[in-house]
Amino acid sequence: MTGHPTTGPATGGTKPGIRQRLSRAMSPGTAFSARHQSLTTVVTFAAIGILLPVIVLLPPFSGFGTQNDWVGGFADAGIFVLLAIGLNVVVGWAGLLDLGYAAFFAIGSYTYAYGASPFTGLHIPFWFMLPIGAFVAASFGIMLGAPTLRLRGDYLAIVTLGFGEIVPAVFLNASTLTNGTNGIVGLDQPSFGRLFGVGDFGFTNPWPYFVTILGIIAVAFMLLSRLENSRLGRAWVAIREDELAAASMGINTVTTKLLAFAIGASTAGLAGVYSASKLSIVSPDQFNFTVSFTVLAMVVLGGMGNIWGVAAGAFLIFELQSQGLKQLNTFIGGLGLPAFNLGPITVDLATINFLNYQYLLYGLALVLMMLLRPEGLFPSRRRRRELHELPDEAERGNVELSEADEVEL
Amino acid sequence: MTPATAPLGRVRLSAGRWNVAVGTIAALVAAYVIIDLGAGGEGQAQFINALTIGAIYALIALGYTMVYGIIELINFAHGDVFMVGSFVSWWLLTTLGFNGAITDPLLLGVVLAVGFVFSMGVMGIVGMVIERFAYRPLRSAPRLAPLITAIGVSFILQNLVQVGVSNSIVTTPQIIPNTTLHIGPISISAINLFIIVLAVVLMAALQLFIGRTRLGRAMRSTAIDRDAAQLMGVDINTTIALTFFIGSGLAGAAGVVQGLYFGVSVFTLGFYAGLFAFTAAVLGGIGNTTGAALGGFIIGFIQVIAAVYGYGVWSEVVVFTALVLVLVFRPTGILGQQLGERA
Amino acid sequence: MKYARVGASLAVIAVVASACSGSTASPAASAAASGAAGGAAINVKVGIELPMSGGEAPNGVPTANGVALAIDQVKVPGFNVTISQQDDAVNGVHNPQQGAKNMQTLANDPTVLFVVGPFNSNVGQAEIPVGNAAGLMQCSPANTYPGLTKEWGGVSPTTLRPTHPDKIAYVRVATTDDLQGAAGADIAFNIAKAKTAYVADDTQTYGKGLADVFATDFAKLGGTVAKRDSIPGSTTDFTSYVTALKSFNPDYVYYGGVTTSGIGLFRKQMAQQGLQTIPFGGGDGISDGSAATKSSFLQIAGPAGDQNTYSTVAATHDIPNPGALQAAYKAKFGTDPGAYSAAGYACTQVFLQALQAVAASAGSDLATLREAVRAYVADPSHSYDTVLGKFSFDANGDTTQHIISYYGYDATTQDWKFLQQRDFTAKPLF
Repeated sequence: MTGHPTTGPATGGTKPGIRQRLSRAMSPGTAFSARHQSLTTVVTFAAIGILLPVIVLLPPFSGFGTQNDWVGGFADAGIFVLLAIGLNVVVGWAGLLDLGYAAFFAIGSYTYAYGASPFTGLHIPFWFMLPIGAFVAASFGIMLGAPTLRLRGDYLAIVTLGFGEIVPAVFLNASTLTNGTNGIVGLDQPSFGRLFGVGDFGFTNPWPYFVTILGIIAVAFMLLSRLENSRLGRAWVAIREDELAAASMGINTVTTKLLAFAIGASTAGLAGVYSASKLSIVSPDQFNFTVSFTVLAMVVLGGMGNIWGVAAGAFLIFELQSQGLKQLNTFIGGLGLPAFNLGPITVDLATINFLNYQYLLYGLALVLMMLLRPEGLFPSRRRRRELHELPDEAERGNVELSEADEVEL
Repeated sequence: MTPATAPLGRVRLSAGRWNVAVGTIAALVAAYVIIDLGAGGEGQAQFINALTIGAIYALIALGYTMVYGIIELINFAHGDVFMVGSFVSWWLLTTLGFNGAITDPLLLGVVLAVGFVFSMGVMGIVGMVIERFAYRPLRSAPRLAPLITAIGVSFILQNLVQVGVSNSIVTTPQIIPNTTLHIGPISISAINLFIIVLAVVLMAALQLFIGRTRLGRAMRSTAIDRDAAQLMGVDINTTIALTFFIGSGLAGAAGVVQGLYFGVSVFTLGFYAGLFAFTAAVLGGIGNTTGAALGGFIIGFIQVIAAVYGYGVWSEVVVFTALVLVLVFRPTGILGQQLGERA
Repeated sequence: MKYARVGASLAVIAVVASACSGSTASPAASAAASGAAGGAAINVKVGIELPMSGGEAPNGVPTANGVALAIDQVKVPGFNVTISQQDDAVNGVHNPQQGAKNMQTLANDPTVLFVVGPFNSNVGQAEIPVGNAAGLMQCSPANTYPGLTKEWGGVSPTTLRPTHPDKIAYVRVATTDDLQGAAGADIAFNIAKAKTAYVADDTQTYGKGLADVFATDFAKLGGTVAKRDSIPGSTTDFTSYVTALKSFNPDYVYYGGVTTSGIGLFRKQMAQQGLQTIPFGGGDGISDGSAATKSSFLQIAGPAGDQNTYSTVAATHDIPNPGALQAAYKAKFGTDPGAYSAAGYACTQVFLQALQAVAASAGSDLATLREAVRAYVADPSHSYDTVLGKFSFDANGDTTQHIISYYGYDATTQDWKFLQQRDFTAKPLF
């Protein structure tokens, strides 16, 4: 229900065109950043790259780990940020529900394993493997998409879900080609000399990885945000809103959807190459269903359609899973809450092992978040408008968006 | 909201009811031949294995398809409802103190009846509670929101069982005696016969309920057009809750069957069972209860055929490849109905 | 390596538990001595890197408790040893990425001198390069996949040590799967006198490794492998595999895998189809307690399925005073130890004994101490007295204790009964 053809403002009884509505969606306030988008992105990421490592030196963060620990975590979190902004293209912008996104992540990772490991004897440098991995993943995206993108709605979701199960199963079972369940080990680490003065790539120094993933994300951001406001980006939104109307406006829906799929897949391919090189192993169980669902949850919780929101959502959820929930014991023990008495049951929070409940808490967080704020933490303007300015009636098409509503955005 | 899905239950087969019957029989014969060729003399036993596991998938798939039919939600928590159902029957049977086969037919009948009614009832209520708190508030939210809560509910159910009951495999008493019945040329275990008959009875009852009763009509009309149904005096909330009650109750029945047949349960059980059952629902044509049943049996046959020919590890790949092929060449599933375009 | 060996294992504990007082430094009493001996005690840590949450908590928690128990009972004069606890499970499942990150965290903490873990071999594959780069010695209580330490499947272990190919920073106290597979074949051919075998695995590293070795060695001994099958661990429905097995009419069934992959269920379904007379064998993945132990292989397989079953354990059976660790564990944690509690205890003993040995020469500089401990443990000439018996590590980092104990089901006790043990160093299969 991401909008509806009949929710546009009524201008003399005629429905407005897609383009008209789209141009309106971009409020004047975005003019500067639209023009200097790339510059803004670079500056923002440079700021993030400087601020994040500094913030973790301050309490309370400093209590949970050293700066190196945190930066190592950020270097891993970057993988999921990249995956989330890639999936956002498919789900958030083009409105195609992809439940098997981890498959492309796996393909990127295995591409790196084939290109740079003792398994094949090839040692192609990491920096060349990045585009190769993106390209291979995109090719698989097109191969999967070409026959299936004709399908509508949830059928596509189901096909992608199947694909997401098939890919790791093939990597697991075609053991002569993939070394099966043991995976491929000893993948090359990137090398770049002393990159930006942060030291060598290595297993104990997280800084080069942090800088690298920040760079990859920044480039992906620049390209993707430009796409969002391009002709192609508008076509995606048009298809998402109403495929039939989009087609009748002259948009080639199949090509447009394929491009969304391919671009989303290539981003996952980049993440796969980076992740494989950082971890130095690939094995089939890294790419199960949970990964697809975690990334989808990141996109939705962050705020589907808003690339910055999605990135922030991915970052927060990753830190919650890998740091926050693991520190719950320390945190709650540190609060010093008195034990409280519930009749027959005495509950002393300090003695409960929250590690056992972290997955449960994650599930509860997903449910509560959706109930309280279904548009995500940082929703896109469009989505917030759909959900709040026009409750309920909007989708039935019997209330029209007034100009006043528009201005307030 | 687009005019969504076609009616639950009845397949529109005005011209093709016989075609389906003939097709089903032909497919069964073909499946039998394929199994028999690879089974080295155990064809009949393997055929019965396939029917039994297919019946379990079919029971779970019905819940997926009913929920999808009425609110267009892929209820990812449904597999875990099945899992919890198997734990409910485990709890009941062990609490009642059974630890093996019950030889007294009368007692066996009573215990089975109590077990099924209890587990189905409990799981039906669990399903309604999930719907009330996790899905109903999101009925007008973006489509992905309830999908994410469904995933969240699935995590919650798994972890409640894992933390609260057992983090490993539990053994359920197998109260049906392990005897083989000989009916003409057919040799079949009592438990296999029981499961197949039970599944068929439950499915027939469901068809009658949906097709012949007022409440069933309310469900069908809600699935076709919620607003119109409401205008005609159908209580939408009650109808959707009822759908969840029935779907989850059937998953609860499948959970009892799981315990009786395999004698075990584990908190991770729901994931793959749910995934395969869901695939079954789509294969048959989601929103279509007959299709879901058919899909369940197809998946059972695919798994058994893969195992018979020594490609058991590929069965998942085969199932999903079949799914992709069916959707590409017949996008509405085998008995399919038009899926609602995502609104 | 085992995916998940869940549940307390009385059988294993009986095998591996030994007198805690048997260790070099005497418990508790020496704590007072340490203060007097060397002025201020040096604060050092042992890292624990195991899956501690979700469905894998039953693997990690009892093992970590074993470490904690050892730290509690064994004191090294001049040192105050504490624990840095890490959890490599994300969303309840072990995760190599998280494991590598934890290992980096531990490596970046200069007071961490030694790591106990990991549990899962693919986590090990991601961690060994980190430990190697940092020069931080790691002892796995549970990894049994041969490829982690020696050439296996054409892959050299030095690919896991790109930074310092010659420096060993990973040892393990569990005997590798190749010996257990050989022991399984020995049982099938020489004890059960089988000529044909059906061999299956659960598609995981541990199970597949065992089954592959079994199949090779069984054939070498002169037996015939009637069928080599793989069964995904995602199902509880083994009926069609069991029915298929019937048509091969084997003398023996060997199943590589762990109880949580459903092996007990496979055996139970064999019994349901009247095949309980065919002997059945597995590795230590099924040797997880008596029929009374919750979720054990013997409990799941049921009385009919338990008949004619064999298992192996990669440890010596003859240990004096086997109940001591169990009693101490129960006193401290209130539960029976897990299958790997003793292994965690033994890894910690290796560290503590190494620390004591190098303390005098390495001084108080933490970096020097870390490297000294690593070099000491990597040196094959040193040996350790542990709850698992006396052993050292070979040049690859594998335990020199190549003893496999054989067990068979005993109907009167409804438990595994020790049959014999074989030292594969002294008496190799071929």
